[in-house]
Amino acid sequence: MGDAKKREYLLGMVILVAGIIYMVLTSQLKVPERPGVHVDATFVPYVLSSIMCILGVLQLRAAKNFVPKPASGDDVDYGTVGKTIGLILGYVALLDFAGFPLMTVLYLVAQFTVLTPHDKKVNYALYSVIAIIASAFIYLTFRYMFDMMLPVGPFDF
Amino acid sequence: MLSLFQQGIEAVFTFEIFGLVFFGTVVGIVFGAVPGLTSTMAVALFLPVTYSLGAGAGISLLVALFVGGTSGALISAILLKIPGTPSSVATTFDGGPLMEKGEGAKALGVGIVFSFLGTVLSIIALVFIAPTLAKIALSFGPHEYFGIAIFSLTLIITLASGSMLKGLFSGVVGFAFSTVGIAPIDAITRFTFGQTQLNGGFEILTVLIGLFAISEVIKVAENVKHEKAATIGRVNMKSIKGFGFSMQEFVGQLWNGFRSALIGIGIGILPGIGAGTSNIVSYIVAKKRSKYPEKFGTGVIDGVVASETANNACIGGALIPLLTLGIPGDAVTAVMLGGFMIHGIQPGPLLFTTQGVLVYTIFAALILSTIMMLICEFYGLRIFVKLLAVPKHILLPIILVLCVVGAFGLGNRIFDIWTILLFGMVGYGFVKAGIPQPPFIIGFILGPMAETNLRRGLQLSDGDFMGFLTSPISGAFLMLSAASVFWHIYQAQRARSVKRRAVVELEA
Repeated sequence: MGDAKKREYLLGMVILVAGIIYMVLTSQLKVPERPGVHVDATFVPYVLSSIMCILGVLQLRAAKNFVPKPASGDDVDYGTVGKTIGLILGYVALLDFAGFPLMTVLYLVAQFTVLTPHDKKVNYALYSVIAIIASAFIYLTFRYMFDMMLPVGPFDF
Repeated sequence: MLSLFQQGIEAVFTFEIFGLVFFGTVVGIVFGAVPGLTSTMAVALFLPVTYSLGAGAGISLLVALFVGGTSGALISAILLKIPGTPSSVATTFDGGPLMEKGEGAKALGVGIVFSFLGTVLSIIALVFIAPTLAKIALSFGPHEYFGIAIFSLTLIITLASGSMLKGLFSGVVGFAFSTVGIAPIDAITRFTFGQTQLNGGFEILTVLIGLFAISEVIKVAENVKHEKAATIGRVNMKSIKGFGFSMQEFVGQLWNGFRSALIGIGIGILPGIGAGTSNIVSYIVAKKRSKYPEKFGTGVIDGVVASETANNACIGGALIPLLTLGIPGDAVTAVMLGGFMIHGIQPGPLLFTTQGVLVYTIFAALILSTIMMLICEFYGLRIFVKLLAVPKHILLPIILVLCVVGAFGLGNRIFDIWTILLFGMVGYGFVKAGIPQPPFIIGFILGPMAETNLRRGLQLSDGDFMGFLTSPISGAFLMLSAASVFWHIYQAQRARSVKRRAVVELEA
């Protein structure tokens, strides 16, 4: 079985499981019974979860007959994707503690470095200058022009 | 109407709004021109900037970004042969070959002028259709709104590109996410897992930024390391007279332009689809109706005219359902709906009676940004060309930081930043699985409208579902919804059987 076909099967399973989980969560909602009211807060979630389950089954059926298109030859660099997601998560996780100005500089330098194309040289000095200017410009603009209280961390401006 | 229009024009000619419209148009053109950035992203990113502005100024800025972003895509479509946004895919078909033939200036001139004309025609349609539709919509009750919401949901799902199953799933998931928080009518808390931050549900802005901007940044990371800088075509603007084409060529394209504008306006009005679809449909129609269809794709201005007029004509078209019914016509207007909500304004028929000046300020801002788009694109072309060379590995991380600031600004909470990351991952998952994103947004926005009006309607008709069918407008929309779904299923089945027959014949 080809990768594309496996992915279609996996998607069918994901839809089906999502539908079942959503239905279970809906069944656990505590809705007070009111005489004469047939459509309560659980009605729409039940309809949606049922549709999801049906779609999951249909997707599994469609995956059986799925004919993959010829590969386009594009190489997906999952290593860079993983590093990018990791950097974003780290940035957000430490934002409150270390503050916006510092974390933004660190994140930008690291992200520029990770995304630099193979045929270009990593220029830490230039990246640092761009990161410091961008961080300061964004912080000062939103702090003083739009009164946004971005986290400052240990540095109180 | 005339007095309101006058007040609208007076409002946009204040220093603040005039400056914002100019800024928005220029930034929009840059976002449209740089491949990987879109007008949806531009509008989503600048929503936080509107927090501290008045409603008129804020919405005018968003409108200018929309106009600039839709038109700016033609620059890279012609000079790089890469569409800046999906709205200019068809522009590359003839714009690229024209550039290769040394007629790049003509292609750009035609594209800019007909972008302008397409926008102007769509604004005329908007100004005349919207108030009339709003008057009719004033008599709508819960039954009618439920019918319209269901019709819009089914339409975007059936018109979603690619698999109908995946489009449907996308819409349903969007609807499901909208059920998080306090339920309408009886105020039951749903799916919050004890998190009080979720009581109000997910903020539309966090959903939009996550789905359209964060997922795009992650997607670019897939191949940015192997990317080679695109060659930017050179155009000598100094030797060009006027807009680079003759009066005879202009007159010869008027009917093509008018037809393409009508296609663009029509597609713009339909919920869920917009400029990304209209440019291709219009190009196909222009080719079919042409006296020389064989020349399309080799570098004829007809192709550029069809694509650029139609994509810009979607602007006014997409604003018609947004302003009159509160239903977004495409992804950009979905983001703009978020902009209205930030300012405490609910688009819909009442907007025309309660916020008449604001509505006409929007119309005037549209006209002003269209004129600015024409001037800026033509005279600032050399600057925009230079911006195309800004490397993505520098640009995209800065955009991500702006997304983070935008999410934080919603309620000064880190929680909202985590939310954009959640929806960014959902959006990236959708991209990898080939699931279209627009149905998710439409499901997320129209879901609560459908649920609230379903429950209100049932309260009005004592729990009787027949009320939705006996109301002529609601009944008609529900019938149309059913018809559109069945028609799509029939078409899909027919296509499958044709494919199967072809495989059998090939094997025989």
